[in-house]
Amino acid sequence: MTEKISHEEIQKVIKSVPLLSPSANQLLQATTDPDHDQGDIVQIVKLDATLTARVLKIVNSAAIGLINEITSLERAISYLGERLVVGIAVGDCAAQLFDKELKGYEGEHGDLWRHDLRTAIASREIATLSNLKINPDLAFTAGLLHDIGKSLISDYLQGTASEVLSKIENEEYGDYLTAEEELIGIDHPRAGYELALAWKLPEAITEAIRFHHTPAEAREDLRELVYAVHLGDNIAMLGGCGTGADSMHYKLDPNYSQYIELKSEELARVMLTVDVEFNKLERSFSAAGDSNQ
Amino acid sequence: MGQIILGVGDYGASNRPGEEVKTFALGSCVSVILLDPKTRTVGMVHVALPESTINKAKSLEKPGYFVDTGIPALLVEMAKFGCNPKGKGMVVKLCGGANVMDTNDTFQIGKRNGLAVKKILWKYGMGAVAEDLGGNFSRTVTVSVDTGEIILSSPGRSNWKL
Ligand SMILES: [Fe+2]
Ligand SMILES: [Fe+2]
Repeated sequence: MTEKISHEEIQKVIKSVPLLSPSANQLLQATTDPDHDQGDIVQIVKLDATLTARVLKIVNSAAIGLINEITSLERAISYLGERLVVGIAVGDCAAQLFDKELKGYEGEHGDLWRHDLRTAIASREIATLSNLKINPDLAFTAGLLHDIGKSLISDYLQGTASEVLSKIENEEYGDYLTAEEELIGIDHPRAGYELALAWKLPEAITEAIRFHHTPAEAREDLRELVYAVHLGDNIAMLGGCGTGADSMHYKLDPNYSQYIELKSEELARVMLTVDVEFNKLERSFSAAGDSNQ
Repeated sequence: MGQIILGVGDYGASNRPGEEVKTFALGSCVSVILLDPKTRTVGMVHVALPESTINKAKSLEKPGYFVDTGIPALLVEMAKFGCNPKGKGMVVKLCGGANVMDTNDTFQIGKRNGLAVKKILWKYGMGAVAEDLGGNFSRTVTVSVDTGEIILSSPGRSNWKL
């Protein structure tokens, strides 16, 4: 038997989660600014000794396979790329959330991180399609954080998965979001939104977390981005990388085509790139040893 | 007990008693399972996309990634175990090919994979005797070399047989 989570309770859960570090926050802010450059990223990382050490450790790890050691932060960041650096910063702070075994979804340890990483790569690939004005780095970051709400509510959903699945099959529930809302009074996009507010995340990322399953409701000027994350999420799930029982039990909003033109052949290419990039990135992240695996 | 684990785009075969051939989390991907009663060999390929024309280089590096190169590659592999290179006498079973809910034509990758598999098999004169394709859930597949029994699993569901 599940109980509804009250507003106070969800706030309590959020308070128990560590805050993002100031440098992770600044990095997120920087990616939303279309005029930022690599110098800004270097400046932020430089002031955070732990993050600097992590970035250097990862760039020099066996998985990256450089012949000569990189000792300069500038070169390390330019080699790894902004996305990976932001991923490291956010991933380290929120490791407790990304690492959580999503028992309420019957997910396995590491599923959320892998799903988020795949969604991030796929959202970025969608954002780079020629007809769009979305900043690919921003799409990556938004994709990385889109399902963070699942970590907050998963425990409350324990033991519900098989019943939810049969109710979706009988069309008692429209999709997994309806189930979350019915069972505990809050769905994972809204839980994630509450966390985004507490973390003071940039508006674009907050909007993507909140509406990644219902992109038509996103603010007009951010809708393209939110649709990119929506598609990225679906691509990750189709690739067999979900977070457990809920995978693929969400609706695809076909109106994406008003914002994003995507032929089936282009989608196939995106899916292939996502597979290749995911294997590379996952290796780099796990290379640092104590990372989010 | 030995296991052969196949990732996306991998193919493999086994005739070793007690061994299992397994692949995890098929979303829109399809697992083509070939059972050869004569040599007691089990083969499987985990294909991700219908056509290798979208990336020839990838199909050379990983033929199992695409339906049109993956099934021929599996047959070549199984021939090493003494199976008929054209698949004669083999039993075919298929699973995977899932879609997300309310999907549109473009996103029916799972359905396109299933159709492409059947088309290639038809060219070899082969047809599936059992299939569990479509739906909106991911599947993990385990095949026993001893019995040819295929067990499917998915989070939140009880295991079932194919
Ligand atoms: Fe989600
Ligand atoms: Fe997701």
